[in-house]
Amino acid sequence: MTTLLNIIIGGLIMGGIYAIISMGLSMQYGVARILNVSHGEFIMLGAFLTWTLSQAGISPLLSLVIVSPPLFLIGFIIHRTAFKRLSSISGGGAFEGNAMLVSFGLMFILQNVAMIIWGSSPQGYQFLVKSVTLGGATFAVNRLVVLLFALVISIGFYFFLSRSRIGKSIRAASQDPIAAGLMGVKINRVMALCFAIGALLAGLAGVLLSMIYQINTAMGMSYTVIAIIVVVLGGLGSIPGSLIGGFILGLVGSAVSYIEPSLQLVAYYVIIMLLLLVRPKGLLGR
Amino acid sequence: MLDIRNLNVSYGNVQVLWDVSLNVRKAEIVALLGANGAGKTTLLNALTGVIPLRSGEVEFDGTRIDGIANSDIMERGIAYLPEGGRLFPEMTIQENLEMGVYPRKLWGTRKAQLERVYDTFPILRERKRQLARTMSGGEQQMLAMGRGLMSNPKLCLFDELSYGLAPIMVREVFRIVTSLREQGITVLLVEQNAYQTLEIADRAYVLENGRVALSGDSKELLANDYVREAYLGL
Ligand SMILES: Nc1ncnc2c1ncn2[C@@H]1O[C@H](COP(=O)(O)OP(=O)(O)OP(=O)(O)O)[C@@H](O)[C@H]1O
Ligand SMILES: [Mg+2]
Repeated sequence: MTTLLNIIIGGLIMGGIYAIISMGLSMQYGVARILNVSHGEFIMLGAFLTWTLSQAGISPLLSLVIVSPPLFLIGFIIHRTAFKRLSSISGGGAFEGNAMLVSFGLMFILQNVAMIIWGSSPQGYQFLVKSVTLGGATFAVNRLVVLLFALVISIGFYFFLSRSRIGKSIRAASQDPIAAGLMGVKINRVMALCFAIGALLAGLAGVLLSMIYQINTAMGMSYTVIAIIVVVLGGLGSIPGSLIGGFILGLVGSAVSYIEPSLQLVAYYVIIMLLLLVRPKGLLGR
Repeated sequence: MLDIRNLNVSYGNVQVLWDVSLNVRKAEIVALLGANGAGKTTLLNALTGVIPLRSGEVEFDGTRIDGIANSDIMERGIAYLPEGGRLFPEMTIQENLEMGVYPRKLWGTRKAQLERVYDTFPILRERKRQLARTMSGGEQQMLAMGRGLMSNPKLCLFDELSYGLAPIMVREVFRIVTSLREQGITVLLVEQNAYQTLEIADRAYVLENGRVALSGDSKELLANDYVREAYLGL
């Protein structure tokens, strides 16, 4: 019973984080048409900035709000400079391919800069290393805090997209950019906003991850891969798909790694292959 | 109200519109007729900044709007219903309508405007939580009109409103267009359906190969031998 509860909590933690990073990637791909291979590097940046702040005695909870605006801004500026220019010089169909190549470049730059600043050995800090007993089972407090924030951020972001005026404009722009333009949506600004939101979500996920795991400057790639898996699983461009897909993958991952941690990624690939056989467009894709 | 002078538009090296001049007065319904490929959609796209124009002037409500960004036309008081409606398929009817008042200045009016549009199109009220892509063609056309009217436009540009609709729906749609004129809204109506269009329009222009071939009062055009033969099949 306790084991099951632990697997579920662990699954929800991973699921929430996967959902956050996948919704971020979905934002960047769905609207701005950028398959951002450097997505994981923004996670890493969020994690390391939090670590640096923690060395100065700043609580990682505070880092959630300190770290996110700069990452949002960096995302916005990168889009406004590199990608906007890229889209004006690459004709129609060429943009997506070119954008992916640029994001590869970005990945190497960010990773190497991080390596220069923070080195390549794993880092970590102590955060709320206490435990509580709930219903007979014992849980680490830091994991429960991460769980809470992962849920709040992923579900909160979903409601932002579905309810707010800006969220609606983002969805409209992803479904028909020209029609959205006729409604007064400034499409270039929305694309930059989406890229920035992607960076922001990745950063937040990084802050959360650093609260419970060791981090290193090469950690980004594996999360990029997971985000891509979730986005395909949920259906390309579908935000609810990414949300649900993230939690499914998290729960499965948690269960599998309880049995055999090294099989986690294998399990993800198996799920995605099986699903694509049954539903080639993903859970909620069309 | 809308004054277009010597408009030229090209796609790459291919010129599609040649020195097109056209005007629409306040609270008038003006029809723009022409065969497939004549350049009707191109004209509307160029007016609204969806595509660039090569040369020419466009004046609306006393100000030059040529070269305007397409995201600015709504705030000027122009509603453009592109060919095929171009709804947001994965959004509900109500969300589609809300997008019709997206500009910050208008967003606050959405409750009142929704009621107004729902009164004009009761079917939309019944279905407000339904996804746009699951509606029938006729309902989608109603939604497209409703979305266009949310912003209380001064000028409506309609591209083939009647396309693909059953005769009874065509009459209904045209009845609504006529009622717009009664509310003082100006309409530029692009249509293939020449006969019914000329019946409700005050004036019309006929576009052939990107040039204005004919223009005049609807009544005159209905009686014109060339129009009767080429466009009315009489
Ligand atoms: N994006 C484009 N690139 C190149 N040529 C185009 C483009 N769009 C339209 N054209 C050409 O411009 C001409 C006018 O097209 P347009 O769509 O304006 O015609 P239309 O009068 O609206 O026709 P229909 O009644 O079939 O809608 C056509 O010859 C068409 O092939
Ligand atoms: Mg057309």
